[in-house]
Amino acid sequence: MENILSARSITTGYDKNIIITNASFDVEPGEFIGIIGKNGAGKSTLLKSLRGFLPLVKGSITLFGKELKSYSQRELAVQIAYLQQQVEMTFDYTARDMVMAGRYPYKKWWEQSSDSDTDIVDACMQYTGVMELANTPIRAMSGGQRQRVYLAKVLAQQTHVLFLDEPASGLDLFYQEEIFRFCQEMCKYGKTVIMVVHELNLAARYCSRLMLLKEGNIIADGNPGDVLTDGLLTEAYGVDIRSLINKETGHVDIFTVPAPDDGRKKELIKTIIGDRHNHGKAVAYE
Amino acid sequence: MNNYHHKLIAVILFVALLLVICTSLSAGQYDLSFMQVVAWFFHKMGLPFLENINVTEQQEAVLMFIRSPRTVVGLLVGAGLAASGAVLQGLFGNPLADPGIIGVSSGATFGAVIAIIIGINSTSLVGLPISAFIGAVIAVSLTIGLATRHGRIPVLTLLLAGVVVGMLFSALTAAMLTIMDDHKVQQYLFWTIGSLDYRRWEHVFMGVVPISLGIIIMMLMARHLNILALGEAEAKAVGMNVTKFRLILLAVATMTTASSVCITGSIGFVGLIIPHMMRMLVGPNHRHLLPASMVGGAVFLVFCDAVGRMLLPNSEINVGIMTAVLGTPYFLYLLRKNMDIR
Repeated sequence: MENILSARSITTGYDKNIIITNASFDVEPGEFIGIIGKNGAGKSTLLKSLRGFLPLVKGSITLFGKELKSYSQRELAVQIAYLQQQVEMTFDYTARDMVMAGRYPYKKWWEQSSDSDTDIVDACMQYTGVMELANTPIRAMSGGQRQRVYLAKVLAQQTHVLFLDEPASGLDLFYQEEIFRFCQEMCKYGKTVIMVVHELNLAARYCSRLMLLKEGNIIADGNPGDVLTDGLLTEAYGVDIRSLINKETGHVDIFTVPAPDDGRKKELIKTIIGDRHNHGKAVAYE
Repeated sequence: MNNYHHKLIAVILFVALLLVICTSLSAGQYDLSFMQVVAWFFHKMGLPFLENINVTEQQEAVLMFIRSPRTVVGLLVGAGLAASGAVLQGLFGNPLADPGIIGVSSGATFGAVIAIIIGINSTSLVGLPISAFIGAVIAVSLTIGLATRHGRIPVLTLLLAGVVVGMLFSALTAAMLTIMDDHKVQQYLFWTIGSLDYRRWEHVFMGVVPISLGIIIMMLMARHLNILALGEAEAKAVGMNVTKFRLILLAVATMTTASSVCITGSIGFVGLIIPHMMRMLVGPNHRHLLPASMVGGAVFLVFCDAVGRMLLPNSEINVGIMTAVLGTPYFLYLLRKNMDIR
C-alpha cells in the first residue's frame, strides 16, 4: 500500500536546540501509531515537525508523495488535523464555536459557514457525545468534556490523518479509554492516527504500532508486543520496567520495579517525617 | 445564546440608538424639546405625524448645522472605537486590550501637538486631524516593527512594544509641551480631552469613509477573528496564516481608531468597555460581537455627550471626561471580577 507519510532521516528542534536526530519511518493508511517515551524524549517535537510547525534542520518529510514544504498552510490543514497538548481559551467560546473552527480550512476567506458545515459539526459532536454541550462555554466544562469537544473539532476537519498530542492526559479512566476507542474506530474506516501517549497499558491494547523514543531517537518501532519489552522499556525510561501478559484479561500489564534502597533514602524520610508523628509515639525507623 | 436572544438584543440596541440620537439632538443650551426633534424627523421624511408640533427656522438651523454633525461624529467615532476595541481584544486574546494599547492614542496626540506647534490647526480644519492620523500610524508601525521577528508577531511582545512606544511618544509630547506657549498648551489640553464640541459636517465627511470602510472590513473578517481568538497554535492547526491576518486586522483597526481619534481627540474607555459589555450580552462570536459593539459604542458615546450637555446649566462637560467618569467604575469592577476567577 502507498505510504501516507514518510520521514527520511529528519533532524529537528527549536531554533538551535536539536531535539530529534535522524528519524526515519513510513506511515501507512489505517495505522494507529502511539509515540511513547519518557518526558522530554521528543514526542511532541516529533509530532509538531511532522505537521510542519517546526523547520527541519536535515532530512525530508513527504505527505502523499509530495514534499511537506510544498503544501500551503491551508492545504496541510485539509490533510492533517492536529490537537495540541493544551488549549488555552481566553473567551467563552462554546463547544459549537470550537468545533466549527475545524471547518475553517474549507472556506474561502469571504465565505461564511453553510448548512453542510453545520451538519458535519453536528455529526462530530454527536459522535463524541457532546451534542448537549453545544452551547456551553468550553471554559465551564470538565477536562473530559473539553477533550471530547476538541476531538469533535479535529474530526470536523475531515482529514485523512489525525495528530493528537496527549489527548488522554489528566482524564478519568473511562474518558481515557474512550478516546483510544474513538481513534481505533476511526482507523478502521481508513483514517490514520498518530498520537503521543503516556498510558502504556492503553497503548498496548489499542495502538496498531508503537514508536519508542529515547532522547530524540526512535529506539523501537513496530507491533506493541515487540516494542513493549522489559529491555526496551527499561532502556527508554531509565528505570526498571516489567511488562507481563495478564492471564485473566489477556492485556499487557506494565509496571515499574522500585530501585533498591542504598540507605540514603531512609535518612531522607527521617528528615521529612521528623519525630512528632505517629500519634505522639516515637516513629520506628528500622 | 440562541437566535431569539440575539434578535432581542439587536432590537434593544436599535431602540436605544434612536432614543439616544433624539436625546442628543434635543440636548444643549438652545431650547429644543425631544418631541420637536421627533416631529422634525417626521416632517423631513414627509410623514403625516406630529404635524401640530412646530419647529422654527432657527431651531432647524441649530439641528442641521450644530447638533446633527455633532451627533453623527459621535455615532461614527463611538462605533469605530468600539468595533476596533473588539477586534484588538480578539486579536490579542486579551479582554483588557484597547485601541490605546498599540500606541494609537499616544501617536495621535504627538501628531496633534506637532500640528499645534506649527500652527496648521488654526489655518485649516483638516490640518490637525491629518497630523494626528500620521502620528498614530507611525506609532503603530513602530510597535509592529519592534514586535515582529522572523515573520512572527508574538502577542505578548506586541503588547509590550505598544507600551514602550506609547511611553516614548508621551515623553516626546511632554518635551514639546515644555517649549510651547501657554495658549498653545491650552489648545493641546482642549484636544487631548476628547470632545464633540464644534464638530461640523466637514468633520463628518473626513471620518465617514475610513471609519465605515474599516468597520465593514472588520465585520467581513469576523470568522477569521474567531479563529485568531482561539490562540495562535489553534489558528495554525486549522491552516490560518496567522501573521498575515494579524497584520491585516491590526492595520484596519489602527486606521479606524486613528480616523476616530483624529476628529475628536482621544476618548478613552469606549474601545475597552463596550466590547466587554457586548461580549457578556451576545457572547464572544465576532459575527454577533462586532455589530453589537458598533451600535453599542455609538449609543454609549452619544449618550455620554448628551449627558455632558445636560448636567450643568449653561456649560458642558467634555465627552472624554464623561466616558472616563462612567467607564472607570465599570473597568474597576471588571478587574475585581477577573481577580475573583483566579
